Amino acid sequence: MTDVTLLEVKGLSRIYGMGDVKVKALNNVSFDIKRGDFAAIMGKSGSGKSTLLHQLGLLDSPTSGEIIFAGKNILEVSESRKARFRLSKFGYVFQEYALLPELGALENVYLPAMALGRKKEEYIKAGTEVLEQVGLGMRLYHRPREMSGGEQQRVAIARALINRPDLLFADEPTANLDSGSSKQVLELFQELNRETGLTILMVTHEPDDIKYVNKVIWLKDGELAEQGT
Amino acid sequence: MFNNAKLSLFLAFKSMMKGNKSTLLLIIFIMSLIFVNLVFIGSIFLGVTEATNKQVINSLYSNIVIEPKKDEKYISDVYSLEQKITGVPGIVGVSSQYVTGATLSYKDKHGTWTLRSINPDDEMKVTTNHNYLIAGEYLSRLDENEILLGKEISGGYGGDLDYSSLGAKVGDTIDVLFDNGIKKSYKVKGIFDANFIQTNTMAYISQKEMESVIGLDDKASQILVKTIDNGNEDVYIKQFLEMGIKEKIDPWTVYSGMVKNITNSFDMIAMMITAIGLFVAVITIFIIVYTSTISKRKQIGILRAVGIEESIIIQSYIFQALFIVITGIFIGLIIIFFAIKPWFIEHPLKFPIGLASLMILPEKVSMNAISLIIAALAAGFIPSWMAVRKSIIDTIWGD
Repeated sequence: MTDVTLLEVKGLSRIYGMGDVKVKALNNVSFDIKRGDFAAIMGKSGSGKSTLLHQLGLLDSPTSGEIIFAGKNILEVSESRKARFRLSKFGYVFQEYALLPELGALENVYLPAMALGRKKEEYIKAGTEVLEQVGLGMRLYHRPREMSGGEQQRVAIARALINRPDLLFADEPTANLDSGSSKQVLELFQELNRETGLTILMVTHEPDDIKYVNKVIWLKDGELAEQGT
Repeated sequence: MFNNAKLSLFLAFKSMMKGNKSTLLLIIFIMSLIFVNLVFIGSIFLGVTEATNKQVINSLYSNIVIEPKKDEKYISDVYSLEQKITGVPGIVGVSSQYVTGATLSYKDKHGTWTLRSINPDDEMKVTTNHNYLIAGEYLSRLDENEILLGKEISGGYGGDLDYSSLGAKVGDTIDVLFDNGIKKSYKVKGIFDANFIQTNTMAYISQKEMESVIGLDDKASQILVKTIDNGNEDVYIKQFLEMGIKEKIDPWTVYSGMVKNITNSFDMIAMMITAIGLFVAVITIFIIVYTSTISKRKQIGILRAVGIEESIIIQSYIFQALFIVITGIFIGLIIIFFAIKPWFIEHPLKFPIGLASLMILPEKVSMNAISLIIAALAAGFIPSWMAVRKSIIDTIWGD
């Protein structure tokens, strides 16, 4: 962890419209994340954790507020620039792995590197290395359906890491895993955070996960309830 | 740009390889049939039109028809005029004719048909009817009292107009009542079948014979002119006019009113069938791509979430549509050139206008292929564009 602010969230709100009914999923949320943080967003079900992560990761557009990433309000850029941010600056790990079933593990992993324009030998090498890093060096050509949930999640992590992102978003990455696999994934995150300085923002509802992180952001009914280290 | 295309191709390839190959092959086969249909319909109509045009040129009017000046019944000084025309480079034959209506009768049957008189040596240079004798012999220059009948007048060797034909055969004697009231008997010298109903309902006698009946010399009702090539008639007509020929000069197309109607109708039908074919292709591809985007909605969302640009995703679907169509076109070309075309060469279709085969023009084939490719581009683009317009959240986690 450093003192350099990587992500600054200012007055973020997300209101969903359902006819005349408006639902405030997020209401005026503000906080910041330092480079090298491993932070957890926690709260009860329906508190707005995933919604917040989706806004921060540019998967959705907030109704109001600012998201300052490395000093720049990334909500003001074009859709194609947002896609570029997601590709090169951010990494995502979803609860349901979100792998492409028609691709093997290595292909799933190197796809973002390919999209970034890296050379073939380069992205294959990088994909292989990152899969080895998550302990799947022997499963390069296996399809997602041929792997366990834990293995699939590690492939998803490898995919999130291949373009060396500044910030890794993880949306309840252990929700679908058994306790052994969950522990492996969280230890992997911890290792990545400690050894490479990767900033990680993880949504979780497991109180036990707190022991892996250095910062916790508590949400309640879409509002920031508490934050602490 | 190149990298985006490479990534789109990669995604398209993986998607097709992962999908049901039997379905893919079936879709490609449907595309090939649509393409074959587009080419076939256009080509068969073109073939019929071409056959009709050839018949009009080869058996009725040759390339250019010279007729009397306005208010005159005959062309005068025909021999001199023929010499003048023959001297023009590119003119390969000239044949002057008297054309009249005549009532032909045999036993208890009779009918009125067109009777042309010809100099057989000249006529053979401008029409090809002498090649289509089915009985007897062609006329000779000095023939008297002999007549050549079209198959439909004769009726003695089959035909489609049995109700009006005479039922006369070679060697039979028929009576001919001319316009001027003279009635004369003629021995049937030959029967021809030009495979063209308009020609097969004509009779021919020699020029010498006609002049003796109508009492004229060095005159003609029309002069047929054969040019070395088809399609440049206007160039020759311009030269004739520049040479001071005052007679009415027209290309054969002016005399093919029925043919023109048929051609226009065929063009219209071909256009409609082509439009329907293209519409079917667009709908087929649209449904295929749309179904694919629905079933792969989540994957599309994942791709967008990890930062793959929308244009790359759209391109990947367009590439799939193009692959289906281009492969379909390729298979269609094989079917057309290695199955349908050879079959039609061996088994041409028989029409009242003659035998017609496929006329496959490269430019028409290219146009059909390009139309189909454009249709594929549109049909591949629209559903994939619709798919990437939805929010990423809805795409991945929506209902």
